[in-house]
Amino acid sequence: MANDVKIHVKGLKKSFGSLEVLKGIDAEITAGEVICVIGPSGSGKSTFLRCLNRLEEATGGEILVDGESITAKDSNIDKIRQHIGMVFQQFNLFPHYSVKENIMLAPVELKLKTKAEAEVKAMELLKRVGLAEKADAKPKELSGGQQQRVAIARALAMEPDIMLFDEPTSALDPEMVCEVLDVMKELAAEGMTMVVVTHEMGFAHDVADRVFFIDQGIIMEQGTPEEVMDHPQNERTQSFLSKVL
Amino acid sequence: MGLFDVFQEVYPTLLEGLGTTLQITILSLIIAMVLGIFVCLMNISNNKVLRAIAKFYIWLIRGTPMLVQAFYIYFAVPQLIQSVTGSQFRITVFTARLVTLTMNAGAYISEIFRGSIESVNKGQMEAARSLGLSYSKSMQKIILPQAVRTCLPSLVNQCIITLKDSTILYAIGLSEIMYHAKVYVGRTMESFATYTWVAVFFLVIVTVLSFISRAIERRLD
Repeated sequence: MANDVKIHVKGLKKSFGSLEVLKGIDAEITAGEVICVIGPSGSGKSTFLRCLNRLEEATGGEILVDGESITAKDSNIDKIRQHIGMVFQQFNLFPHYSVKENIMLAPVELKLKTKAEAEVKAMELLKRVGLAEKADAKPKELSGGQQQRVAIARALAMEPDIMLFDEPTSALDPEMVCEVLDVMKELAAEGMTMVVVTHEMGFAHDVADRVFFIDQGIIMEQGTPEEVMDHPQNERTQSFLSKVL
Repeated sequence: MGLFDVFQEVYPTLLEGLGTTLQITILSLIIAMVLGIFVCLMNISNNKVLRAIAKFYIWLIRGTPMLVQAFYIYFAVPQLIQSVTGSQFRITVFTARLVTLTMNAGAYISEIFRGSIESVNKGQMEAARSLGLSYSKSMQKIILPQAVRTCLPSLVNQCIITLKDSTILYAIGLSEIMYHAKVYVGRTMESFATYTWVAVFFLVIVTVLSFISRAIERRLD
């Protein structure tokens, strides 16, 4: 069972100046698991996610991915990030490249694929997220939901085995939330290891294997969606859920 | 003499001076761009020492008039070197002016580059890094191409400023356009006509530059 631990977080701490945002987080995430991270804004859930691929440098504790420390100073973070995809709230597509080029860029630049191979893969991914006809469009010509689906395809082009989602639907108009969640559901069904910071309680309930409720810089409560969301034990979880459900 | 009579007489010498002006301006701008890139990269680096050097340099240039800088480089620095080494040290007018213009434009250009790089949304760098691209690859492929678009108008503006500022430096003596104009006026007393033509020459060049810059901007959009 220990071999199956994909992400191992031990006593993770993160401070911004004198403000301690994460106060010691411990978690084990198994291969193929879908974790949804919920909690009030400012609780540290995005910071937790961003520590997992070191977009934020941890100030204490350790994170192991496939048994390898990513927090150690001498770890090759560029190499590790190649198999951890990330999807951002604001999509962050590259505006000066076409949709297809956005997806092809990293595999080609990192010499994992030739241009031709990357193009085949990009078209395959675009078909999968339902945007094959937008291959040559510029990001700004797409709607928010379409941009986010391209962003997912861009992350998948690196063939990651972990996907991190940082509030992927929070910047979307309500009618576009579904199309993005559908792509994510499909990905979950295929066995991708996913950590999703989200305010979509329905999605968390239906798709997550486990839910982390983060508040005040620690995981206050964790368990299956039924345990955490239907029968929360912690008073703060109860109060949070009563506000959002 | 009328305006056009003066033109007939003065334009060959003014053109010759303008040639020198353009030559030194273009040369110093090319070096200043390279200098500007390095200073900008130093200024945004994580290394405290590099950052301090860049900031000191920019502070020094921005805080002093260019004329003072020119006199400093042409007269003060050689004297300092001479008194330290004890041997004769001279610097040509051309070199002094080139160094002054380059140092001056370099500081401003580095700030233009920094502003444009910082204006690129910080999510762009994060997205690039999250894909596994290195810092320098991300700069090269994602940040700089976007920064170039935003910096072009200010960059052309800086070129125009440098071109015009270069005339101030006739004060340390180089046979450029203002120098020739002044000599001619000294001989003929035709101040109005002569300086009108000097102004027209600059207006023509700056107008052409502005057109080119607008054309480039339109192509990039």
